[in-house]
Amino acid sequence: MTANERDLRRRERSAKMTLWLADHASRNRSLFDRLCRKLLARATRKQAGQDFMRDPLIDNDTGFDPDELERYQRGE
Amino acid sequence: MPAAVPFDPQAVAAAKPVERTPREGVTTHRVVCSTCDIACSVVTEVKKGRVVRVRSSDNPIFRDNICMKGIIAPKAFANPDRILHPLKRVGARGSGEWQRVSWDEAMADIGQRLRSIISEYGPEAWAVSTSQWNTCTDHGLGRRVMNHVGSPNWISGVALCAGNTAAINRMTYGWFPMGDFNNTKCIVLIGHNPRRHSWTPIFNFIRSAQARGAKLIVLDPRRSSNAEVADIWLPLKAGSDAAMLLGWLKVIIDEKLYDQDFVTRWTTGFDELCARVNEYPLERVAELTGCDPEMIAKAARLYATGGPAIIPWTPITDMQRNSTSGIRLQSILRAICGYLDVPGGETLQGFNPDIVPESTIEMHEVLSDEQKAKQLGSDSHPAFTYRGQQAFTEPMKRVWGHEYPNQITGCYMANPSATFRAMAGEGPYPVKAFFSLGNNTVLSYANMPLIIKAMMNQDLIVVHEHFMTPTAQLADYVLPGDSWLERPWLTDGFGWMSSYRASEKSMDPPGEAASTFDFWKKLAGAIDRPEIVPWTDLESFYDDRLRGTGMSFTEFNRSTEMYFAKPEFRKYLDTGFATPSGKVELKSSVLESLGFDPLPYFREDPPLDPDYPLQLFTGVREDGYFQTAQRQVPEMRQRSPEPVMFVSPGTAQAYKLIEDEWVAVENQVGKISVKVGVRDAMPDGLVRIPHGWWKPEMKQGAGHLSGALEYSDAQLCRDDEDYLDREQGIPHLKGVPCRIVKLAGQPGGVPGSDRELAV
Repeated sequence: MTANERDLRRRERSAKMTLWLADHASRNRSLFDRLCRKLLARATRKQAGQDFMRDPLIDNDTGFDPDELERYQRGE
Repeated sequence: MPAAVPFDPQAVAAAKPVERTPREGVTTHRVVCSTCDIACSVVTEVKKGRVVRVRSSDNPIFRDNICMKGIIAPKAFANPDRILHPLKRVGARGSGEWQRVSWDEAMADIGQRLRSIISEYGPEAWAVSTSQWNTCTDHGLGRRVMNHVGSPNWISGVALCAGNTAAINRMTYGWFPMGDFNNTKCIVLIGHNPRRHSWTPIFNFIRSAQARGAKLIVLDPRRSSNAEVADIWLPLKAGSDAAMLLGWLKVIIDEKLYDQDFVTRWTTGFDELCARVNEYPLERVAELTGCDPEMIAKAARLYATGGPAIIPWTPITDMQRNSTSGIRLQSILRAICGYLDVPGGETLQGFNPDIVPESTIEMHEVLSDEQKAKQLGSDSHPAFTYRGQQAFTEPMKRVWGHEYPNQITGCYMANPSATFRAMAGEGPYPVKAFFSLGNNTVLSYANMPLIIKAMMNQDLIVVHEHFMTPTAQLADYVLPGDSWLERPWLTDGFGWMSSYRASEKSMDPPGEAASTFDFWKKLAGAIDRPEIVPWTDLESFYDDRLRGTGMSFTEFNRSTEMYFAKPEFRKYLDTGFATPSGKVELKSSVLESLGFDPLPYFREDPPLDPDYPLQLFTGVREDGYFQTAQRQVPEMRQRSPEPVMFVSPGTAQAYKLIEDEWVAVENQVGKISVKVGVRDAMPDGLVRIPHGWWKPEMKQGAGHLSGALEYSDAQLCRDDEDYLDREQGIPHLKGVPCRIVKLAGQPGGVPGSDRELAV
């Protein structure tokens, strides 16, 4: 087996492991699933100040009042 | 492309963390957003039977994947102008005279009239245009009904956006890959510019990869927000993607930077490809693209040696005169550099073996060869038609277990322009019935005057929609569609991925709004073919499709947020590729058999017309809008109240243009009114035209179409042969000659002159 092939197989194992983790994190039912979710959450957390997904429009959104939506739909 | 989302460090620092604790009286649902085509996993919060908030998923793999269009959805779908009941036209077509009718009355009449048209003209006289990321619950049922009835004439915006990419990718290696952003070391963005509020998950993927150290190469005439943070930016001429990639291949082949073992074992036509590439020395490529040859070589080397690398799908290459060659060149680069079906490269996922795919639902096998041969456009531009894809039937079965895998719904389509010509009475046979579902047809394809003429020549037009769009205004029936807040859904990215996500219904649809599933079921009944759609409701349909998982839809939804197939890489080692040769076809046997050049090439622009000295590109969206939608949403409209073209300061100076003034942009086929936006990021001589503009508050009906005749970019999009890709027949939208003419004041039909936008 060449070095390239060994490297490729190592990367394939690693990618499969990541998907396995994501699979369990997405189930989020058993204690083990939740552990996977926490691991993934930690691995993907961005450092404060470098979080390019922070956006005031999204982060400060509190949604709507149902009565207000009802009135809006009626054209009031 | 609109300006980048402002990135204000102070504002970001002040942003509050998202509160995740359940609020009193609020129930939550796991939902897949369908406001645009990217399908973010989100959570809806429901109070008093209404969705009151949409927030991002709690699952870390979907964290923060939500945009401004997603959070405004509860109000957007509560808009007072939403169509809530079936409407029947009672005046002349486009007169705006409507009568409310019941679903039963509407469908009985539609069924009777459709049968009458089919009886008189044949089943091919019925055409359908749809956008399944909007309709969602179509799930291939439209094709299924059409296939049983006998019509091959289904068209969609995916003809020039992802669907055609899928069909053309198959010419090289028999599938449309998905880039592995999580493990890649190099990303190549060709023209498109994912942002915080547009293609949000892709933006998240790209920035996350960069944070891990991945390189970013951007090919874009504009200094886009991604170009600004790229390792290499190639400011190529609009529409020259294929020339640029031929230059990359020249460097990679000359310097032997490709995966020689893979090329030897798994490709055909490498010598012929080398001969073709030798016709494009870097000096010529530099001239065709306007880029520095050293930078071209540097980018090519980084792609070939800095991998595994990905070239994510780009709609930009999809919409060019050399679209087929451009897409093929992307495919060839992926293959010869050894990036196919490896971690960090381009994964060929196939179908999830546990779940019935939409391709099976479509039942293309029941449509006879005789009817398939009638598919409009397949004679002259066959690439994504039945004829163009026929050679893949056996290879697809061999490798992917399916004779007609219809990835992105785009692999067995009629050609849109050919369909509109037939509808207008200028085709090989008449098309007299036209259904448009979740698809604002008039504004969504090239040559808008032809589309309007085509629609005015129909005996029956049925539209399934949320609002009275310009397309709906010309219909015989406008039927109220539900929204993604009001229905369940099950998605695998239209066959692009092997993983599935389920979406819960969060609230009841208002009025008589109904799903596309319901529409097709009712239609099957109305044409006396109820057996075509045998499932009683959407949930039982999903139960049936999920039987292989051992779960009902409800159980499936509860069990996971994403149902993964067992991941496998380099599957071709066991199965070969799904091409006629079983290998990667650098020289396409299918294109050759169809009478086209089997190797990629670059077709240059026609001679410049001095009356139209500038070039425009279109297809770009503002962050607040998805395609032709959301103009009636006050919060989005306040952000982008008018259509704005972008030009460089140099172009503005040369034509004495002033920021915010109204001008006309004209070419040989049409004219629109836009406001001027002067942007440093634009190159001289190029004009960015915003996509999909109409104004819901303006006068409706034929001759007006709510401002579409004044503002829609589709009027500038031409479909004459010089501006069509040869193999697919899709229009060239990136680099179309035009000129700018100053207007004395605001264009006719002043916003708000007809009625006010509800706020």
